[in-house]
Amino acid sequence: MNLKEKIEKHLMDVQKPSRYIGGEVGSIVKDKNSVDVSFAFCFPDTYDIGMSHIGMKILYSLKNARENFRCERCFAPDVDFEKIMRENDIPLYSLESLEPIKDFDFIGFTMQYELSYTNVLNMLDLAGIPIFAKDRTEELTQIVVAGGPCVCNPEPLADFFDIFILGEGEEVNLELMDLFNEMKKQGANRLEFLRKAVQIEGIYVPQFYNFEYKTDGTIEKMTVSENAPEKITKRIIKDFDNVFYPENFVVPFTEIVHDRVSVEVLRGCIRGCRFCQAGFIYRPFREKSPDTIYEETKCLCENTGYDEVSLASLSTSDHSQIDEMLTKLIDYTAGERINLSLPSLRVDNFTEELLEKIKKVRKSGLTFAAEGGTQRLRDVINKNVTEEEIMSTCKIAFEGGYSSVKLYFMMGLPTETDEDIIGITDLAQRILDLYYSIENRPKGRSPQISVSCATFVPKPFTPFQFEPQDTRAEIERKQKLLLDSVKSKKIKVSYHDPDVSQLEAVLAKGDRRLCDVVYTAWKMGCKFDSWSEHFKFDVWLEAFEKCGVDPAYYANRRAEYDEILPWDHLDYMVSKEFFIRENKTAHNAVTTPHCRQKCSGCGVNKAVGRECFC
Amino acid sequence: MLRLRATFKKTGRAKYISHLDLNRCMLRIFRRSKLPVWYTEGFNPHPYYSFALALSLGFESECEIMDFNITDDNMPLSVIKDRLNEVMPEGMGIVDIAPQKNKITVIAKAEYEFDLKTDDVDGIFEAVEKLLAADEILIEKKTKKGIKTVDLKPDTEIVSLEKADALVKIAMRLPAGTKTNYNPTLFTEALKKSCEIPFEMVNIRRTGILCENNEKFS
Repeated sequence: MNLKEKIEKHLMDVQKPSRYIGGEVGSIVKDKNSVDVSFAFCFPDTYDIGMSHIGMKILYSLKNARENFRCERCFAPDVDFEKIMRENDIPLYSLESLEPIKDFDFIGFTMQYELSYTNVLNMLDLAGIPIFAKDRTEELTQIVVAGGPCVCNPEPLADFFDIFILGEGEEVNLELMDLFNEMKKQGANRLEFLRKAVQIEGIYVPQFYNFEYKTDGTIEKMTVSENAPEKITKRIIKDFDNVFYPENFVVPFTEIVHDRVSVEVLRGCIRGCRFCQAGFIYRPFREKSPDTIYEETKCLCENTGYDEVSLASLSTSDHSQIDEMLTKLIDYTAGERINLSLPSLRVDNFTEELLEKIKKVRKSGLTFAAEGGTQRLRDVINKNVTEEEIMSTCKIAFEGGYSSVKLYFMMGLPTETDEDIIGITDLAQRILDLYYSIENRPKGRSPQISVSCATFVPKPFTPFQFEPQDTRAEIERKQKLLLDSVKSKKIKVSYHDPDVSQLEAVLAKGDRRLCDVVYTAWKMGCKFDSWSEHFKFDVWLEAFEKCGVDPAYYANRRAEYDEILPWDHLDYMVSKEFFIRENKTAHNAVTTPHCRQKCSGCGVNKAVGRECFC
Repeated sequence: MLRLRATFKKTGRAKYISHLDLNRCMLRIFRRSKLPVWYTEGFNPHPYYSFALALSLGFESECEIMDFNITDDNMPLSVIKDRLNEVMPEGMGIVDIAPQKNKITVIAKAEYEFDLKTDDVDGIFEAVEKLLAADEILIEKKTKKGIKTVDLKPDTEIVSLEKADALVKIAMRLPAGTKTNYNPTLFTEALKKSCEIPFEMVNIRRTGILCENNEKFS
């Protein structure tokens, strides 16, 4: 029985079988004998989640656009199908050719969130590929690589990967595959390939780097072998307006999380919110022209048949030509009966005419990421949203017929006091009072203020990378304080599981000693940790215990400025001096202006060799 | 306006597209085709199309029926067919397009072919014959109102029954349409209950959507 027959024999016994068989419109199937290098693009979560990921769409099309390369997709099977796969010796396979992942030259994972780490191990195991890089064949095949935001500190994964790809992938992926092709033809082995690969900018080969630790647990020193560079600098695309963008997406049969055309309008962020990793690791700020955005939107809508399009960026309103861009897009989408969704849009400085147009297409509710309950705390985190702005926008919205508002906050932020927690409720209450004070508010409807409160997770490459996370007990006390301070039934409060946030902090800030913990936790049955129904914190704690690793050391300890951090050898173009400066400024509750107002000297312009804005 | 009826196939990997997903899939097919398809005139206009019968997940067919309208009266049917075929997923395709003749309510039956895969061909063959010869074939069927027991016997028409290599091949007609819908899996469930020999139902295909007099619905 061939693999396809084996799969099909069991497909009717699983949920949503179309996720496991490929054949979608837009998928690219190449003859394996007609290409030189094959790349299995693996997403360490289920199809429904992974198929929504824009980075995969870009790199999938980019690689397949090269005649001699082949890129196929692979996702983590859901638990029902995984059981069947294991019972029937079905190895992890790609969706295009239904070919075992272990037969690919490259096995590439995108690391989007810390709680997907165990899924990587599970997928390698399902594929029949050795989990540890050191156990893999000496031959030049099965090169296991990873990219994505989490590889800005990939140390907790260092033992499992041959290569980490830092920064933006559009150029470096092709360079790496070209090198592979060349060396394969020369008959090189794995080690010879890795030695050459590490000389490409943005390529980090963890086995060439060794760490020694002090008795207090901090890093004593890092040594480099095989002539690898001391510092690995992330890659960026300089000419962003002309960067490759797919002309087509794979259109899934089953409904996925983001089931629509997604067009990237800008990369990077000018804001500099001090808790936000994305705001720093994607710098410098670059944007596409309204013409490019329009052409890409039109092309993708026509080729996929989607009737919904969404703009992807960290902050679409920061596009310098937002008026022109939106006018162009709305004219097109309205004419073609396409829904345009505009997430995270600030509506403060739009023209009347554009505002009218946006009102017509905008269906989503009103959302504010206030993050902090008091102005003092918002200044600490550099979230430049004032209460007046929130109130004036709410007023416009209520007068325009809205009756519900959603507010996002974080709990456990540096310098936070009980006053800041109660400030969250006070702000929600003032918005509610504002609603009742408005004469022409929507009649016959009950207002609702939803307060969603996440737990702060300190992340590498942010000014808060030195900060400890609140302990679980402290978070629980604050959550109770928040709940108790709510006086109205019209204010609904929800918050995150503190256990999840703690594990996220440990894995985000961890070093190589965590590899054993990740491996042990997976061995003990942990996977799909980001799914509340699968998350087993008690098992994780047991794994920490077994490995003799204290999670509190990573999550709840303040790091010194002069300490060697596990990610100090990776250069994301923003300097450590800047982060130290910003950390100090934060503790003085002083804000830093955004990049367009004034350059704050983060170091990106030096790395790129030009001013970000001129 | 052209009121059209397409016969389309859903084979190979496309058999794993559920009916709900097929709806969404067809919407995107129409949008990709850029055909002047007629939109509904409600609050939320969308291309109008309607499937005559739902096809169970995992079944293949080359005779599925879908109605839709084209606003351009002068558009040749061959052009419409080609443009749709250009943008169909692997395993799907338009077999034929013709003007709508009968009302959907005229559909009375559907014909299915399937194989019973087994190590004991003779045993299964006999068990099928025995089941067909029984006075009644009672089986529990899930309906919207709950589980009810139905008798398949009066409505099951066997078209052919034969032995092959490790297979028993069956073709049968069952009621379909707006009144009664019997799925051939009901028959194999009844067979499973009536005999102890293990078998697997494979290669399930719908081969015809028929009127009361067994003529092809059009």
